[in-house]
Amino acid sequence: MARLDRHLWPALTVALLSAVAFLWASPFLWTLVASFRPEGAGSADMASLLPDLHPTLENFRNALESGSFGLYYMNTLIVVVGVLAVQCVTVSLAGYAFARLRFPGRDLLFYAFLLQLMLVPPALIVPNLATVVDLGLYDTLPGVMAPYFASAFGTFLMRQTFLALPRDFEEAAAIDGAPWWAIIWYVLLPMAKPGLVAFAIVSITAHWNEFLWPLMVISSPANHTLTIGLAAFTLGAESGKEWGVLAAGTLLVMAPLAVAFIAFQRRFVDSFVFSGVKG
Amino acid sequence: MIIATRLGPKWLGSTALALTIAAAAMPAWAQTKIEFFFPVPVEGKLAREMTRLVKLYNESQKDVEVTAAYTGSYDDTKLKAQAAAKAGKPPSVVLMSANFNVDLKLSGDIISLEPMLKADETTREDFLKDFWPALHANAVVDGELYGVPFHNSTPLLYYNVEHFKEAGLDPAKPPRTWAELADAAKKLTKGDRHGFLMPAGYDYLGWLMEALSMSNGGRYFNEEYGGEVYYDQPSMLGAARFVEDLIFKHKVMQQGVTEAGGVSTAFFAGKASMVLLSTGSLSFIRENMKQSYDVAFVPKNVRNAVPIGGASLVMFAGQSEDSKKAGWKFIKWLTTAETLGGWSRFTGYFAPRKSSYDKPEMKEFIAKNPDAKVALDQLPYAKPWFATYQTVAVRKALEDEIQAMMNGKKKADQAVKDAQKKADELMRPYVEQTSLKLP
Repeated sequence: MARLDRHLWPALTVALLSAVAFLWASPFLWTLVASFRPEGAGSADMASLLPDLHPTLENFRNALESGSFGLYYMNTLIVVVGVLAVQCVTVSLAGYAFARLRFPGRDLLFYAFLLQLMLVPPALIVPNLATVVDLGLYDTLPGVMAPYFASAFGTFLMRQTFLALPRDFEEAAAIDGAPWWAIIWYVLLPMAKPGLVAFAIVSITAHWNEFLWPLMVISSPANHTLTIGLAAFTLGAESGKEWGVLAAGTLLVMAPLAVAFIAFQRRFVDSFVFSGVKG
Repeated sequence: MIIATRLGPKWLGSTALALTIAAAAMPAWAQTKIEFFFPVPVEGKLAREMTRLVKLYNESQKDVEVTAAYTGSYDDTKLKAQAAAKAGKPPSVVLMSANFNVDLKLSGDIISLEPMLKADETTREDFLKDFWPALHANAVVDGELYGVPFHNSTPLLYYNVEHFKEAGLDPAKPPRTWAELADAAKKLTKGDRHGFLMPAGYDYLGWLMEALSMSNGGRYFNEEYGGEVYYDQPSMLGAARFVEDLIFKHKVMQQGVTEAGGVSTAFFAGKASMVLLSTGSLSFIRENMKQSYDVAFVPKNVRNAVPIGGASLVMFAGQSEDSKKAGWKFIKWLTTAETLGGWSRFTGYFAPRKSSYDKPEMKEFIAKNPDAKVALDQLPYAKPWFATYQTVAVRKALEDEIQAMMNGKKKADQAVKDAQKKADELMRPYVEQTSLKLP
């Protein structure tokens, strides 16, 4: 009996987990299968998860022809990388200030900063757009990026990361005569890598997938990002959907992110587990 | 911006500012640049066709250069145009859902087109004469022209001819009344095949409920005054109960909310025998349906009546006089009988101008596609599309309740009562400023 138990329970657990994993993965599986299925609109087995016997690349060709995907990738990449680059600077500096510097009203200011998290982004569309127009950034990629240059979430995350670091390292560096920027750059940031990486993941996914704000700022087709390009397939108000093309387009949009995350998955996990911070 | 495109997107950010300055410094003979926002109401293919049209226009003359911006769904387009206008960058011309005009006029976002008519030495009556009478109500607000119809639609009953034969129904005699519809649907429902299906996503559902309540003798909203809707009234209650019965009593319609894409897919796949869809889907269905199909009027309970759908061209407030002139010129080019006819054949929407149908290409097209004729024949029964203060929110008030009903969470009687209450609350500020403002 005991031996049976030893084998039974792990097997059950694996079965249960597989079932949950399958449920969770089925939309992705369907997208993958549908994108290779011939005859897009309305074939009877469109909802089937079983791959078709004669896979085709036709859907991808149609999707690629419907928009300048090269341009969309480039624009999205510029936005995502640009936002992240600026954010890394602002959130580490702000996080450092809130974690280490002493000044009157520091905590109050920090909480005021956190209040930003409570605001729903659509509420800020009009005021932000007015600012972007005033700055002469309407219909430009920097206009899309501008509101995200400072991040309340990032600042919070970096502050917590810095707070968790023992002061010994900084004090040792300070005794050796390192100025504050050298302490941040050479001592704190290398140890805060897990925090930065975690923030980068959140930031990249958020801006890669964002739709409403880029749609508000961008008018010229030359500045369209991936999500706006994809919307041309998905927003059919008065007609049916060409599921195959839709699936192919969706795959094209999410592929780079998915590939990157699968490839670096180990690394992401490692960076959390084996960081130099051990107290 | 054109130069920037050639240089590649990489340079856009850094050169945009310099270019703007360069553009501003250009001498006076430079053409007027205007922005044109358009949603993609059907498929990506239409966005390309629209881009082609705009390019054609830009090449055909030298005074105006139009930048066409694709702006998402109808609701997104409204949001973007209004946000841009508030931020001081109003687009010149926008292709806007035809029923947003009242709302946009009340908020001061769009301008009256009467001065342009006057400059052209014509009158509103003369200008609208060539447009189908059913379209006038949505183009005119408070006695002034605010929108020029561009493409229009009505709901239509699409049915699978082979299913009809199989169920012993005569495909030449599609259901004309609600009773015949329910009866046919019962005969057509078999296994996992549903006899009837209609889209119930936002926007579509409100429009179809308007069609059903109108076919039930109702009006849905007060055409003359933007502060009244008739949700908690016999005409809408009957329509709601009918939908509820189709799902829960006759069991001929799928429970829950199916989006338009799902409905047409089910129709193609033979999983739904009759569907209510827009005439705007005609081309798409013609191209993709493998079994034979036909179309018919929306069945009636009290009378034949359907609402108009589709979009009009409007002009935004806050643009310069030059920009207004350029925008109006562009609108006139987009709404010639030829352009409208071509767009109609490409999309399946009907052309708002009667004279489009006198063109030989159009006569040939209709002869070849008799289904397009049914849509046209239904036009005399068409009525205006609901347009009120806060149109979208007031529409959603009904849609949320009907969706709850379709999911089996609410009864029809309660649903229309709650919808009315919510809609009245939404329109209260306007009502208090107008009909309840007493001396």
